[in-house]
Parts: sequence; C-alpha cells; structure tokens
Amino acid sequence: MQKTLTEMEKEYIRLQRKDFFFCFAIFAAVTVIAFFFTQRASDPTLNIAMLYTLGIFIITRYTEGYLYGILFSLLSMLSMNFFFTYPYGTFNFTLEGYQMTFLGMLVIGTVTSAMSTNMKEQSRKMLAQEKELAKKGKALMEAEKEKMRANLLRAVSHDLRTPLTGIIGNSASYLEMEDKLSDDEKRDLVIYVNNDANWLLNMVENLLSVTRIDNDTAKVNKELESVDEVVSAAVIQFKKRFQNAEVRVKVSDEDIMVMMDAMLIQQVILNILQNAQLHAKSKQALELTITEKENNVFFHIRDYGVGIDEDKLETIFDGEGYRKENKDETTRSDGYKGMGIGLSICKTIIHAHGGEIRAKNHPDGAEFIFSLPEETEE
Amino acid sequence: MYQKVSVLIIEDEKSICDFISKTLSGSDYKVVTASNGKDGLAAITSSLPDLVLLDLGLPDMDGIDIIKKTREWSSMPIIVISARTQEKEKVIALDAGADDYITKPFGTSELLARIRTAIRHNNKMANASVNSNRPYSADGLVIDFEKRLVTLGGQEIHLTRVEYKIVSLLAQHSGKVMTYDTLINQVWGPYADDNNRILRVNMANIRRKLETNPGEPKYIFTELGVGYRMLEDEGI
Repeated sequence: MQKTLTEMEKEYIRLQRKDFFFCFAIFAAVTVIAFFFTQRASDPTLNIAMLYTLGIFIITRYTEGYLYGILFSLLSMLSMNFFFTYPYGTFNFTLEGYQMTFLGMLVIGTVTSAMSTNMKEQSRKMLAQEKELAKKGKALMEAEKEKMRANLLRAVSHDLRTPLTGIIGNSASYLEMEDKLSDDEKRDLVIYVNNDANWLLNMVENLLSVTRIDNDTAKVNKELESVDEVVSAAVIQFKKRFQNAEVRVKVSDEDIMVMMDAMLIQQVILNILQNAQLHAKSKQALELTITEKENNVFFHIRDYGVGIDEDKLETIFDGEGYRKENKDETTRSDGYKGMGIGLSICKTIIHAHGGEIRAKNHPDGAEFIFSLPEETEE
Repeated sequence: MYQKVSVLIIEDEKSICDFISKTLSGSDYKVVTASNGKDGLAAITSSLPDLVLLDLGLPDMDGIDIIKKTREWSSMPIIVISARTQEKEKVIALDAGADDYITKPFGTSELLARIRTAIRHNNKMANASVNSNRPYSADGLVIDFEKRLVTLGGQEIHLTRVEYKIVSLLAQHSGKVMTYDTLINQVWGPYADDNNRILRVNMANIRRKLETNPGEPKYIFTELGVGYRMLEDEGI
C-alpha cells in the first residue's frame, strides 16, 4: 500500500523476470523429458505434443497474463519442429499437417492463458471482497462500541450535571438568602444538597466498579466468597443510606460459597435495592431471598410497589429504557434518578461473572433476579 | 477541670479537614491538623495526640509509612480514612498497625463512634491486667472468657473449639475490624494455609449458631474483602 511508484515498478519487473525464467525452466524440462520419450516410445510425436500441452497448462497457471502461455506454445512448436520431427536438427515448415498442429498449439496456449487469467482474476476479487467484509465487520463492531461509549458518556454527564446543578443551586440560595429564610427552609435546602451528593456518590461508585472488570476479556477477579456475607454487607450498606428502609433477608439454610468479586456483587445488590427504594414506592418491606438450583445461586429482590412497564422489561438493563423514561418524567424530584446506569452496570457485572439477570412483574410489584454459577475453585 | 482528648487530623483536602475538625471541636475534642505527611509525622512526635486520623492518600508520602514509623515507638490509636473500593489498602493499613478504618464518605456519628471505640480500646489495653477477663456482653450475647461459656439470651450456645476461639478473639477486640490474616494467624498459627476458606466456613457456622437471621447479622459483621467486626461490648 505504502510503496512508491518506483518500488511498484521494481516489483513488476522482478515478477516479470521470475515468470520469464519460470517459462524457460518448464520449457527446458519438458524438452528433456520429450527426449527421454523419443528413446522409449514407438510413436513419440503424439506424446510429445501432449507433454508440451501440459507445459502450457503449467505456465498459464503459474504466470501472470497471456504473454508466457503464448510464448511457450510458440517455443514448443519450434522445438517440436526442430528436435522431434524429421528431419531432426533442422527447421522444416513445409511438413504436411504442420500448420494445423501449429495453429492448434497456439489456440490451446491462448485459450488456457485466458481462462486461467480469468480464474485468477476472480479468485483475487473474491479474496478482496472477503477482506473488505472482514474490515467492514470490524469497523461496525468498533462503531458499535464507540456508540455505546458515547451513550454512556452522554448519560453519565447528564446524570452528573443534574445533581450538581441541584447542589450548586441549593447551596447558593442558602448563602445568598440566609437572612430571609426560615429555619425549616434552610433545613430543606441542606437536605436537597445532601440527597444530591449521596446520589452523586452512588453514581461515582458505580462507575468506579466498572473499572474492576477487565477491559479486553470482560472478566472479573473472582474469589470464593460467602453469599451470606456479601448479602449482609450489601444490606448494611443500603441501610446506611436509607435509614428507614426495611429489607427482609432470607439466605439459604447452608451458607453457599461462590466464585465472585464480592465488591461488585455487593454493588449489584445495592443498585437493585436502591432502585426499588427510589422508584417502586413499595408498600411492604423489600425482600431479598437466596435460592439454589442446578449449580446456580439465585438472588431475588422483590418489591411490593408499582411494577415495571411491560414494554420496558426487555430494555431495562440496556441503559436505553432509562433515557426514554427520563423524557417522560417531568417532575424534578425523581427524574434524574433514572434506573439506567445502575442497572446497565448490574448487567455488565453479572455477565462478566457468567450469570444472568432479568426483571419481571408479579401481582403486587416487581422482582429482579440474578444468578451466579457455582463453579469450583481453580 | 478535665483534660480534653486531643485528635490529630492528617488530611490534605482542606474541606474534609475542616469538616472533621468542626465536628470534633463541637464534640469537645482538642483538634490539631496537618495537611501533609511530613507535618503529620512532626505533629505526632511534638504534640503526642491521643488519637490520629490519617488519610492514606497524602501528597508527599504514603500513609502506610506514617503508620509504620509511628508504630516503631508508640501504640497511640490510629484510624485510617479510606475510600470504599480500596479494600486491599485497608488491609495493608490494618496489618501495618492501624487500629481501625473509616470509609469515605462517613457521617459524623459514625466518625465519633469509631474515635470513642479506639480510645476506649487503648485505655483498656493500658489496664489490661485489671479487667481482661471481664465477660463480653452486648445485646443479649454474653461471653464469659473464664468459663469459656457463650450464652445468648441466657441460653447456652455450643461452639466448637475453633469457633469459640474465633468468637472470643472478635469479642476481645469488639467494635474493631479484624483482618482475615490476623484471625487465621491467631487461630490456626503462622503456618496455616493463607487461603481463608476454612475461616469462612467456620464463620458461616458461627453465624448460624449466634444470629437469628444470618442474612441480617446482629453481632458479627462482615467488612467485605477486609475481615470481621463484632458488635461493641456494652460493658466497657
């Protein structure tokens, strides 16, 4: 690709020279074999003509263009005339039927040259096409990745800007109007700031957790961990932020040990619990239940709230559903606390563990279920 | 006139340093601050605080080195301030001799509780001979170290020898986190397999004996990736 013109010319000349020598080498070889035939066969002329035809095939297969095929057929005619037809050792162009044989050889040379050139051209085209397709596929994947990255970045910056605006706005009101505000109003402003900051922190921790997943292999650093411990740590973390929240935890009778990155699984449980707390408007305590089935551990997080729109169930983990939801939401209070990023991070984390995650509705609310495979330690 | 407890804050972020020192001053502590490692080390030797709050991410030196340097000559309580996701860092700090850690961001009540615990523990160590055998008691759980007896709401709990060893270790350091390595070393000896699976299995059994709901423990809490912390003794 990067070759200069002179280099290309050099390359062309090199190839031409190679073909030329190849042509002569085959010619010499065929002629030698033909001599060998004259010693053994009773009627050598026919065999010799066939030998030269074989030579034509070989030449056209392994050289570029028509030139050498035709050159070879000419040479073979001359050589047959000179070496193998009576009178031996001299040219005699007046022999009977000679013109026809000559013409035949020429035609064979030209036609096979043309055919093999055509074939070579086609296979070259196919190869180029394949290359082009592979390139396009790769470009498409890159573009898809780039699009995901851009989407995430857009969502993130939107999600970061909104609470920041709240923090700056509320704290500025406090500073500017301190004298005019009642104590209750002041308190409200500080509460807003506190909520927004907490939300920001959660967001940042989610994003940080993604950095624990290997970029190239999309795998995580797994260790054998106790399900009990991860669950209880997540619930404590959750209650630290939502002091009034209630969670009913039910772990299995025997503690289960599973290969996982405990911090990431804690983050997943935390995200789902927080979503339930912020969105579901659950009428009863949230439920976190552990079950075991066919070498998988299932984590069920159940709320008794408003449920999830059926048409969003599929896309809820893609980050897409989140933005649609955002457009619909007009109220400020919950609008930016979209489900998107937290849940798409959950999906990334669970898939990196070789597990599955899904959401479904039950008669009184929604349930999120994710699974982790029980594998033995390496 | 009583002497105020003095706390040295080594933290380079001014806003965090201010917030902590306001909280502590408001709770009747005497506060000294240092904004980098060099000043911090100097302040430790010159003002001999009762407790050090140390941020590990300092601009001029590794916080771990400050712990090590201080531990060469003093057992003053050191509480490390660390980010949540860096559990390795916490373990290193604890193993280097830090007494406890607090995870950013923290509330004032959590901070004050940790400081109280650390100071109490330090005092207890100083009077170790007087009350080391006093039973542990918290929320219905009583551990009598002399009789090697564990009771929950008056009911005796049967623990295996290893389980009792773990529980009593945690109880003697209640309120403080104990790393997996510390526990394994003290229970199984220095040549034990450094794989902490056996500890996890024992903990799972202990939880099922002590806790009404192992998924929501009341007595023994897991600090993911670091170790375990037992509910603070009410008696001290």
